[in-house]
Amino acid sequence: MSVSNLLENWSKFRHTHPVDDKGHPDWEAYPSDIKWAMSIDLDACTGCNACSVACYAENNLPVVGKEKYSHGQAMHWMRIERYWDETAGVGEFSADQGARFLPMMCQQCEAAPCETVCPVGATNHTEDGLNSQIYNRCIGSRYCSANCPYKVRYFNWYNYPEQENAWPSPLNQQLNPDLTVRTKGVMEKCTFCKQRTYTARNNAKTEGRPVQDSDVQTACQEACPVGAITFGNLFNPESQVAKQWQSQQVELTKEVQDKDEKEGNRLRGYRILEELRPYPSVMYLERVRESAV
Amino acid sequence: MQHILRLFILLVGLFAGTGSYAADAAPKLTTPDDLGPQIEQPIEFPHFRHAGDAKDGGMQINCMYCHTYARRSMVAGIPPVQKCIGCHQSIESVRDKPRIQKLFEYWDAKKPIPWKKVHDLPDFVRFNHERHIQRFYFQQDRPYQEVCGYCHGNVKAMTVAQRQKPLTMGWCASCHQKDHPVSANSTETGHGPNDCFTCHK
Ligand code: SF4
Ligand code: SF4
Repeated sequence: MSVSNLLENWSKFRHTHPVDDKGHPDWEAYPSDIKWAMSIDLDACTGCNACSVACYAENNLPVVGKEKYSHGQAMHWMRIERYWDETAGVGEFSADQGARFLPMMCQQCEAAPCETVCPVGATNHTEDGLNSQIYNRCIGSRYCSANCPYKVRYFNWYNYPEQENAWPSPLNQQLNPDLTVRTKGVMEKCTFCKQRTYTARNNAKTEGRPVQDSDVQTACQEACPVGAITFGNLFNPESQVAKQWQSQQVELTKEVQDKDEKEGNRLRGYRILEELRPYPSVMYLERVRESAV
Repeated sequence: MQHILRLFILLVGLFAGTGSYAADAAPKLTTPDDLGPQIEQPIEFPHFRHAGDAKDGGMQINCMYCHTYARRSMVAGIPPVQKCIGCHQSIESVRDKPRIQKLFEYWDAKKPIPWKKVHDLPDFVRFNHERHIQRFYFQQDRPYQEVCGYCHGNVKAMTVAQRQKPLTMGWCASCHQKDHPVSANSTETGHGPNDCFTCHK
């Protein structure tokens, strides 16, 4: 890609960035008929971590070990966040009602804060609504990670394949050939299983039809034993994910969902840190708690 | 001071880079050759015999008869020994030629032929044969030898294949930036994807 091309793409996908206070992105002008999106039902999620493990296997993620983990160098593109209930005493947390779990990965923001700060354009937007990460282009400045409100970008501090021996033989045989094993000095993050969405689009194009739900599942979705994760093309009204977003009245262009405003509203859908207006592509379905009823 | 100088050099480089791309506008699919190394193969496979034109003593076999997967998968594939034998067991006339004897040795030993890779792309590149064959062979209805030749050169005149084109990113992009007709009899044009994530994995 030439520089002219990069700049051209940049403006094509970024002309609706909300900093100009137009209010919201202009979806009518969206460059393709695919917008990958996800929804995660926190009522169904049991916090089992299967999705996270599946992600490790699918995306060639190195297991870093206890010590590096304690330094915050874990490479889990998908992590399960755990929240304990606060009991009556301020600052005291108990597991009385168990923890709340929240699978957290790159939210594929439409107006991604990480993209605007990359000095070399190594992370930019694709026409199917993904926030891309180009390892070859990345120089490891880590600005993107600093600017990501969700803290879901992971940096390769070590040369895991060679020096750290993250996949001792025969584990190296299970590495996924559809994506690279990253080396030291580059940033990485969830790609919504780009290799799978690519294949889905490829097959649909050869068969001359639009992408359907049955074409693609992300690794986490496939692994989830309770079916908490739904993934698909948000612009296809027939897709499961579009139906869920619609029934929860969550819209890409909104930054405050109706449920926040109307009292007694039973809608559960929300997106994390919406008010920052990164327009994330992941909708969560709020967990209904006994204590909250 | 040094930083300013560096920035200046960078900027000059950037503009020079953008300028050079604006220059080539007309769609031209063939590009100059940039020969790769001559790779020695276990059997000196004569592409010209199999795929060459009849007037040159070739049999004009479609590339995709042997490289079957090109039209329906990312990789074109090297045919299994079985494919060679499928024909050669009934071609008595060449049975005692040294190359064919070697072929049958592999077959009798039930061993694959250890062909060496000639067109080897780096691991971080996702190149899709299917998309290119679909676009140029099926949609635009161009002859297969021409279509495969855009990237592989004139294989039908070679013995063992040799890399003919640079296969670098700039070379790919030089074609992706051009507008090609979308089908055989259409005036509508489109160009290849130019977004990094499509090819970089
Ligand atoms: S969640 Fe973070 S890494 Fe992902 S697109 Fe948004 S800002 Fe970028
Ligand atoms: S696999 Fe499903 S249930 Fe388990 S943690 Fe992930 S989302 Fe929750």
